[in-house]
Amino acid sequence: MRSLTTRASVALVLGGILTLGAFLGAFFWAGVPDFGFVRTAEQADSVRYTGPFEQPIDEARYLANYAGYTIEIEAGGETVRGELVSADKDAVELTTDTGSVTIDAADFEAARVFGSEYGRPDWGQKIFYFHVPVAEISFIVFAFAAFYAVRFLMTRDRENDTKARVSMEVTLVFVVLTMLTGILWTKAAWGVWWDWEPRLTTYFILTLLVVAYFVLRNSVEDEERRAVYAAVFSILAFIDVPISFFITRLIPSNHPVIESGGLEGPMLVSFILGQVGMIALGYAIYQLRMGEVQLYDRIEQAKALLER
Amino acid sequence: MASTSGRQLKAMLRKDIVMELRTKEMIMSMGLYSLLTMVVYFVALSQAGSTFDPRDIAAGLLWLAFIFTSMLGLNRSLVHEKDQGCLEALLLSPVDRPVIFFAKAGGNLIFLLAVEALTLPVFGFLFLQGTQLDWSSIALLPLILIAGSTGMAGVGTLLATMSVNTSGKDFVLAMLFIPLMYPLLLGAVTATGGAIVGGVQGVEVFWTGMAWVLGYDVIMLLASYGLYEFIVGA
Repeated sequence: MRSLTTRASVALVLGGILTLGAFLGAFFWAGVPDFGFVRTAEQADSVRYTGPFEQPIDEARYLANYAGYTIEIEAGGETVRGELVSADKDAVELTTDTGSVTIDAADFEAARVFGSEYGRPDWGQKIFYFHVPVAEISFIVFAFAAFYAVRFLMTRDRENDTKARVSMEVTLVFVVLTMLTGILWTKAAWGVWWDWEPRLTTYFILTLLVVAYFVLRNSVEDEERRAVYAAVFSILAFIDVPISFFITRLIPSNHPVIESGGLEGPMLVSFILGQVGMIALGYAIYQLRMGEVQLYDRIEQAKALLER
Repeated sequence: MASTSGRQLKAMLRKDIVMELRTKEMIMSMGLYSLLTMVVYFVALSQAGSTFDPRDIAAGLLWLAFIFTSMLGLNRSLVHEKDQGCLEALLLSPVDRPVIFFAKAGGNLIFLLAVEALTLPVFGFLFLQGTQLDWSSIALLPLILIAGSTGMAGVGTLLATMSVNTSGKDFVLAMLFIPLMYPLLLGAVTATGGAIVGGVQGVEVFWTGMAWVLGYDVIMLLASYGLYEFIVGA
């Protein structure tokens, strides 16, 4: 018990410091990335992307957040470049060298936003330093939960069921964090709070599955049966994890996909700090909760002994 | 060994079908439920105006009806087993657990397909009057119905066996079933939409959706088959 608390405390402090470091680094040190989350030309043409990373956008309403940025719009076979004045689902207005241009949303084909050369910091992009680590860790911890579920079905050892349950609880924490940071980033990058695009939808389904796991657990009375049902369901639910992860690479999607590295200097350091910090925090939460559960179990056992 | 399992499977399937033919309970309730859903659709779409093309949303509406009807059917089929103690009797007899799974899933699949076969023409009659239908691509519809229903029946049987032993039966089934069905639904609605809209592009979309659904079926049915013995023994 003592070693659990010590490990957890160390991980908590370490995680807290690293995450704080990532936060400070992201906002005060890292600049705006120049690299693009860019795909091949064919993919770029068929993908609706948004953001100051030179990615084509093919729905006018997504430009709403980029007023003041330099935009290159392809409409009706022509390319127009200028500063964006306003954009909504009906029309886009630009100021070009020759004056004001209004483009109908129906003619709109694709657009590229040039942010980094404009020199404005994109605060929304900073969420990247937190969103990516928590999302990754939610998948990893879910994998642990599924692993413990398989172990439980193989050994029928109550320990494994407890570990699976605590892992799922930690997964829930990280899934909620991912959704929250994701929603903030969606608003910042795409101008809407939510969009039914593949990655967001499959991840929302994942959230529902994690919640369903706890609904199932709470509705079964018999302990062994509860453990077996929960284990089976978490294995089935885990099938959504690779789907959610790979779907942005399979279907054209708005969600940024990191195809190759490209972070350097301050951005890389902040990112790594956030990554390691979140892993440490995840570990800490797991151990702390595990300690709490073990303590609860010991108390229950003591009570049962006293009652005899 | 194989022939014994085959006989057991046939016997269990026959039991379910004969029981159903005698009481007609499940088909009646599922069929009427489907019809009631159509009525609600009519009300829901009554404000949509006369200029929208019902072929665009037909696929979604159809699969919505099928999913809720299948949940109804799944619940009822497993409730019988539990109330009458049939499942315990089956477990005591020397039947392989997977055979129970295939028998229950097979029975559910047959009932679901029967209800779908009834619903489809009714839906077409009520909502698709006067629209141009490409009959060669409509002929592809049974394929996607069978593929989609197989997935629903397989996974649904596993989840219903779990949910019937919980304290919030229908709700728990819905909570477990709908998120897991999402990839299947996506593929099925895509394919059905492609078939209904028709044309060269529609058929292309149909086969993409069909591939998606078949992939899902294979993975989920294997998983359900493997995990069923843990569920039914608990």
